[in-house]
Amino acid sequence: MRGRVAFRGGGFAPRPSPLAGAATLIVLIAFWQTASWAGWLPRLFLPAPREIAIALYRLALSGELWRHLGASLGRLAIGWSLGTVAGLLLGFAVGLFTLACSPGMAVVSAFFPIPKIALVPLFIIWFGIGEGSKIATLALGVFFPTVINTAGAVDNVPRGLIRMGQSFSLSWLSIVRKIVLPGALPGILSGFRVTSSIAIILLVAAEMIGAERGIGAFVLSAGNLYDVDNLLAGIVVLSLLGLIVAWAIGWLERKLLSWRG
Amino acid sequence: MTIGLTLSGIDHRYRDLTVLEGIDLTIPPGEVTVLLGPSGCGKSTLLGIAGGLIEPTSGSVTAEGDVAPDCLNPLTYVFQDFALLPWRDVAGNISLVLEDHPLPRAERTARIQEVLALTGLVDFAAAWPRQLSGGMRQRVGIARALAVRPACLLLDEPFSALDAQTRDLLLDEFAALIARAATTCVYVTHNLAEAVRLGQQIVVLSRRPGRVREIFRIDRPIAGRRTDEPDLLAIEARLWELIRGDAVAAEREIHHAG
Amino acid sequence: MLFAVTCRAVFVLLVLCAAVQTASAADPVRLGLLQTLSPAPFYIAQERGYFRDAGLDVTFRFFQAAQPIAAAAVSGDIDVGVTALTGGFFALAGKGALKVIGGGLHEEKGYEGSAILVSTKAYEAGLTAPAKLAGHSFAITQYGSSFHYMAGRIAEASGFDVKSLTLRPVQQVANMVAAVRSGQVDATIAIASMAKPVDAAGEGRIIGWAGDIVPYQITALFTTDKMIAEHPDVLRRFAQAYARGVADYREAFLRLDAAGKPIRDASTDAVIPAITKYVFVNDPDAARKISEGVGFYDAGGALDVADVIAQYRWFQAQDMVKSDADPKTLIDTSFLPTR
Repeated sequence: MRGRVAFRGGGFAPRPSPLAGAATLIVLIAFWQTASWAGWLPRLFLPAPREIAIALYRLALSGELWRHLGASLGRLAIGWSLGTVAGLLLGFAVGLFTLACSPGMAVVSAFFPIPKIALVPLFIIWFGIGEGSKIATLALGVFFPTVINTAGAVDNVPRGLIRMGQSFSLSWLSIVRKIVLPGALPGILSGFRVTSSIAIILLVAAEMIGAERGIGAFVLSAGNLYDVDNLLAGIVVLSLLGLIVAWAIGWLERKLLSWRG
Repeated sequence: MTIGLTLSGIDHRYRDLTVLEGIDLTIPPGEVTVLLGPSGCGKSTLLGIAGGLIEPTSGSVTAEGDVAPDCLNPLTYVFQDFALLPWRDVAGNISLVLEDHPLPRAERTARIQEVLALTGLVDFAAAWPRQLSGGMRQRVGIARALAVRPACLLLDEPFSALDAQTRDLLLDEFAALIARAATTCVYVTHNLAEAVRLGQQIVVLSRRPGRVREIFRIDRPIAGRRTDEPDLLAIEARLWELIRGDAVAAEREIHHAG
Repeated sequence: MLFAVTCRAVFVLLVLCAAVQTASAADPVRLGLLQTLSPAPFYIAQERGYFRDAGLDVTFRFFQAAQPIAAAAVSGDIDVGVTALTGGFFALAGKGALKVIGGGLHEEKGYEGSAILVSTKAYEAGLTAPAKLAGHSFAITQYGSSFHYMAGRIAEASGFDVKSLTLRPVQQVANMVAAVRSGQVDATIAIASMAKPVDAAGEGRIIGWAGDIVPYQITALFTTDKMIAEHPDVLRRFAQAYARGVADYREAFLRLDAAGKPIRDASTDAVIPAITKYVFVNDPDAARKISEGVGFYDAGGALDVADVIAQYRWFQAQDMVKSDADPKTLIDTSFLPTR
């Protein structure tokens, strides 16, 4: 063998760049707008971004957007919080106690794959046509993934750290609060990313029945009326909601998990 | 004010694998007892049993002696992998083991400052574990153990995860520390130089099932010992002769127990 | 001799070919509809061979909901459709893709089509007449549905604002009835065959009939502009066959005696098998259910043009249809009569 040895390492290490992410979205939207202007897309059934923006502006101006958004945000906040708190409690129980471990996971495995949308008619009978059934849909959709995720996160806390706590005779509560909880926090927070998206996805299903207001109900009604501008405006709002929530969780992670560096 | 331990009739089995068999051992107060043996001889298990972290299949451990009133955790471990909480800074990791006790805040701060000073960590109080070298991390582990003013220190190969130079440095520091504190120590290692450097009583364990093969005594102070002194070298050679066969066999073994 | 035989064989072959040719020359038409009782005249026309007689090969494409039928016509999956005139339908038609060409189900005074059904609780609390609906909750399938329209027109006729009703969209007809039975919603609209058993069981009360308050065109026959431009002859033949089906349907179900009661006789029984091929299949009680559930169709499949225009204007006024197209451009009356 003779000659220069060629470089063959590198790669397999993608670096995040928020700027590139934003630029991609902007280029996509610009391309869409151009295609509409040029007449490559049927304006009738796929409106241009400009028209969606105008629809959005009108909704914001008339106050309709804020009424729908207010109703949906309230449901999201209550439904997600209920599902998350209950899911965290059961998840910790499953992760910490033999007594809860197998029974808890059996129940979760049996009920998690059920499409919550299919249960909406039942929820109406159980919780009524008002806010109850909507919040139940969201809470249940959030509950099961939270249990699975939390139990996994608790299980992943290094046992060595727990033994260390015991070797210094820390109380059970101290071990849970100061070792298990912070150790499971990264996993729990990344679970929040998933469950918050699930909640936004389920919003449309939750607001299918008996909702006068709400972004989900608005999107459904615009769809029924083939009001494509408003339909897409509603979808843009849902998507922005998802972006904001993801950003908020990212911020929370940076705050709470600064020790990871 | 320190305690001694008596281990009597200790047997331990994981399912059908006998790890320890018929261990009778006295750990004299105020001395360093080294548990020496090839890997897989059950010496870490024995240390776990001595401190109440592992329940033996049969046999018992009894403690004897007076515990000082400022001792918060008589039997205190130092771990091979340091076992530091990554989400607490150095001071926080030490504070952790004091928080469950009704200490006045000033006393707690004073104790933290004291052990930081003892281990040369004063400038690192606010550092995260991930920012520290292995040697510094184990200094935190030792500082944390000292903060509770233990009556007996249980050390599980505390320096085996460190490089040779760091290990020698820490060994000297540690020898000076315990010589001053006169705390009972049980020190698990497979390193012969460490054994003769620190041990006043060296317990050689046989390969599985672990039994006490022989007990050596080196009745001279730890402070000032050097590993290249002729009497220590002679003992080291004796120890090597004793465990060499077991070490060869242990090295060729397929691992069963996790 | 041999020549003669061969000649005859060739002749037979030619005739056979011609026959096959005619059969395959029947013009294919894809009809979009709901698998319910409401498009019964189409079932009759199909089963009695009226479409075949008109040289058409009609395929039924069944849908789960009314809205997608209109969308399927726009996307070119069906040629003709029969569906409820909803906000969604008008929105699509207003974009210039669809045209109404004939009448379907019509709410009519004296015919029990759609009932105004209220919960027992609401009834006992005084909701005993349609005029008292103001301020109550009212279940509909979706905004812009025909139920929404009916609620609006009942409100107009009774002199109150439709906005004073708390509308509850529950997506499905079954949900609307269930919501009233369980008392979660005060009122809704349900077709006779669904409303009557609820009333009889005391789980709700019928307080009026939509047809008595707002006679209007519920469903209509529609097609695409492309179809009208390219195959007007096929549409004409389709309309004639449909009209024959409507005639049989009216004969079977819509004749009233002197007391205003529907007449049920041999002509009724004769059409039942055609209908049970599509709905109430293998249901021993099918004849009764059909006879109680049928709604009114205008003679000849006529279209209530004035009402379709009124409906369009209403959806426009409610801001549910944004198009400002002239309603006359949504209708083509060249195929079927008008009312």
